[in-house]
Amino acid sequence: MKKKVLSALLCGAMAATMIPMGATSVMADDGVSLNVTTTFAGTESNVQEYQDAVKAWEEETGNKVEDSSGSADETFKARVISDFETGAEPDVLFYFNGNDSNPFVEAGKVMSIDEIREVYPDYASNMNDDKIPASPVDGVKYAVPFYGYWEGLYVNKAVLEEAGVEIPGAETTWDQFLETCQKIKDAGFTPIAASLAKEPHYWFEYAIYNHDSFTTHTTLPTAIDDEAGKAWLAGMEDIKELYEKGFLSENTNSATADEVFQSFLENKSAFYVDGSWKMGGIKEGTDDVDNFTVTYVPGNGDRKSTDIIAGLSSGWYISKKCWEDESKRDVAIDFINYFINDERVSEFAGTATTALTNGVTIDESSLTNLEKDALAMLKDSTAVTGAAQDLLTQDERSPIFDNMPQIVEGQTSTEDALQGVLDAVEENKE
Amino acid sequence: MNIYKNKKPAFFFLIPAFLFMIVFLYYPFLQNILNSFMKIKNLGGAAKGLNDPVYKNYLMLLQDENVRMALKNTCIMIVVTLIGQVGIAIILAMLVDNIKRGAKFFRIVYFFPIVISATALGVLFNLIFQFDGGMLSQLVGHNVNWKELHPLTVMMTPVTWQYVGFYFIILVTGLNNIPDELYESASIDGATRWQRVRFISWPLLHNVVCTCSVLAVTGALKVFDLPWVMFPNGAPLGKTWLTGTYMYYKTMQSPDIDYSSAIALVIVILGVLLSKVVNAIFKERDY
Amino acid sequence: MKKKKAASVNTGIIYAILAVWALTTIYPIGWVIMNSFKDKKKIMSDSFSIPLGKLFTTSNYTEAFEKVNMLSAYKNSIIISGCVALVVILFAGMASYALVRYKFKFNSALYNLVIAAMMFPVFSTIIPVFRMEYQWGIAGSGKVSLALLSVILPQIAGNLAFAIVVLTGYIKSLPVELEEAAFMEGCNAYQIFFKVIMPLTKPSFATVGIFSFLWSYNDLFTQQFFLRNKEEWAITRLLLEISSKEGTNYGLMAAVVTLVVVPLLIVYICLQKYIIKGMTAGAVKG
Repeated sequence: MKKKVLSALLCGAMAATMIPMGATSVMADDGVSLNVTTTFAGTESNVQEYQDAVKAWEEETGNKVEDSSGSADETFKARVISDFETGAEPDVLFYFNGNDSNPFVEAGKVMSIDEIREVYPDYASNMNDDKIPASPVDGVKYAVPFYGYWEGLYVNKAVLEEAGVEIPGAETTWDQFLETCQKIKDAGFTPIAASLAKEPHYWFEYAIYNHDSFTTHTTLPTAIDDEAGKAWLAGMEDIKELYEKGFLSENTNSATADEVFQSFLENKSAFYVDGSWKMGGIKEGTDDVDNFTVTYVPGNGDRKSTDIIAGLSSGWYISKKCWEDESKRDVAIDFINYFINDERVSEFAGTATTALTNGVTIDESSLTNLEKDALAMLKDSTAVTGAAQDLLTQDERSPIFDNMPQIVEGQTSTEDALQGVLDAVEENKE
Repeated sequence: MNIYKNKKPAFFFLIPAFLFMIVFLYYPFLQNILNSFMKIKNLGGAAKGLNDPVYKNYLMLLQDENVRMALKNTCIMIVVTLIGQVGIAIILAMLVDNIKRGAKFFRIVYFFPIVISATALGVLFNLIFQFDGGMLSQLVGHNVNWKELHPLTVMMTPVTWQYVGFYFIILVTGLNNIPDELYESASIDGATRWQRVRFISWPLLHNVVCTCSVLAVTGALKVFDLPWVMFPNGAPLGKTWLTGTYMYYKTMQSPDIDYSSAIALVIVILGVLLSKVVNAIFKERDY
Repeated sequence: MKKKKAASVNTGIIYAILAVWALTTIYPIGWVIMNSFKDKKKIMSDSFSIPLGKLFTTSNYTEAFEKVNMLSAYKNSIIISGCVALVVILFAGMASYALVRYKFKFNSALYNLVIAAMMFPVFSTIIPVFRMEYQWGIAGSGKVSLALLSVILPQIAGNLAFAIVVLTGYIKSLPVELEEAAFMEGCNAYQIFFKVIMPLTKPSFATVGIFSFLWSYNDLFTQQFFLRNKEEWAITRLLLEISSKEGTNYGLMAAVVTLVVVPLLIVYICLQKYIIKGMTAGAVKG
């Protein structure tokens, strides 16, 4: 009896493996097959748009895309890095342009935009070159940016109304913000939904931003007592103060980000600092988008409240392997051009930032109030800087980012945490 | 008897399995051991020369507070899995073996927790232990911060619960290898239910219980998915590190591949040593 | 009379204990299935109520089925995990038999190696395996069958150690007399393994098969590394695509978990019927 089942299973398995073997050997005859890896996967926004665009491009050109995109989790990152190490890299890659790209940039396995322009002078000519981020390795620009992110203060209007306070705005100062929080707390709400255990980085960015300025924000400290070092320490002290005053979620040291975000959606917390990608999360998580708005994180010192954090963290790469393959080079350029023209970038970007010289064109009538507020916030912003944490690799930031609960609890001093970061940077330099 | 005097067939039996393991496990792990002496940052990234001194990571291990916490918690975990998972599984398996109707039903439902992914169970248990509006908070009538007040209990209960079914199935299988005649003849001799369990099932199950204990001890050293989903980064305040979660953290979250390779080697060595201890304990018993 | 009553009281207690544990195992799966029929917005706030009336929706399933090709992924999963389970049963059974019955100088060394292999974390071995398989041309080739093979091979190795540990435990408990009897009748070691050991330990093989199938099926990490294109995806890899996100969509996730679990339970229910009593010494001879 068992034998029968086994052999049936085996035969079935064999037969099933044979079918796809036959099916895949049929390849596009005249077109070129392009290996493409992107982070457009999972339920990220724009996945559908990306897949539609790929299909349209395939039909237009007769070429074929071997798409091996994946959600940008840690496994995916490891896969991309080992692909480059092994020689199995894709022809076209849409990927991060910060520290995550260091391994393959250092190995010289991707083409710089300048090198590409020597052959294709019009490549990415619709982009404002000053806005194209350079690699942290050598300051050379490799990736053509697509659309980016900003970080801001999301507000639950109902909570503020019940607590009888105004929505913070361009003029609100840090001290006024603290008073507002106190009032919200007295009214029985949690002023700030935050998970220091899992996502302390948004607060970290703005807290230290409040002690430096848009010109100095993306400077790494080299010592505990240099300018940047002092700003970082003071910023961490601010977060500690928020914690000690009881303004953060009560379980901030153990809660997941989802958990505190939920309390924000459910009118239990007033504020939530996050990135532009959370717009979709709010839209999906609530029946009443109009109850939410987004505004500036109140400023302090040299930073005006309207100085924001925003950037372009991903872009399109062409691998050297593809570039050296004459049959693929043109096709890869054509594929990327299909995505980085003004029209397509506008379509993908929505309210996010871009590097387009002419900016995006959006039909405002189709936007929600929250999206309109976001656009207004961006339009009236006075200065923009990237995130300081992007200058550090994951293991370098971990002494601060993974220890934030210990820091606010006073178990780890802010100086020790910063020293840990400096030591890690020093060690990685060797 | 001299069936097994001729050792040639043994090689035929051993070679396929070990060939697979040599190619896909031992050789790659040798690489892992070498990696622990190199400078490697990201998983899959290239090595940038040797560490200075080469045994640097092993020195670091001795000084790392998180490693100490992880080892302490893992020791607790081992005791909890042995008593909780294997213990409960033995009781359940014996009980199911002693009933006539519904045994199949229990065998099916006890398997449920193992098939649900750790991510989903993590979400479920996070909602049960949630501070605001969680199931337990609702039961006691006010918000209690379970995860910060009792981190180890909140972490170990779901893990223990999840794998009881695993050991249960292994033990039930062991019990089913015992021929029915043994029980029947014992019944005829007037043995009570308890006597049958004590003098037939238990001795014959001895080897399987030993297997389960080895699996439980090594499993406790490795476990990371459910604890990681519920208590990422050793939260709260680094109190919940396990060897498995800390290695994962050093591989994925805060990548330092040479260091995590060193942790992996230590875990493997601990696993082999502890399984030897377990086997030694069980060997002494003779029925 | 009295004795009988005591026995039925005992039986009652036994059933009560078993039922209590059963409740704890049924409830979570019920909870997942229940929530898969709820609107994603309601799960965090209303996770422990029953989806009736307004709460009820099948939108999570329609979303899952609309986005991806479930059938092809199920097929790939069954091919991968089925092959892994079959090969593991055979090779691990052979190795365990030799480890238990043959006495070598290096027996315990081999056993230690097996335990060690069981401890290797998958992320410490995956990179060299990927490089090897890429050189052999089976990883990253763009062909579905090769991609499946590139997952099957390391997964077989990964499950062998566990299977050997479990099977040696079972085979040790077998009375050696049966093998001696077979030997007297003129069987050699190969025949003894296939005609005596394998049938006798059928439940053990079924158990090992179940778990090998399960670990292989749920091993997302290896799948993420080796299954690149959509046509290659196995079910766990596929469902990662529809459930992974910033601010997880729990409704969709619950539906996804249900879709993953159903085939597993079918395989389990099919195989667990081999874990039955009644294999007796007498039955072997036939």
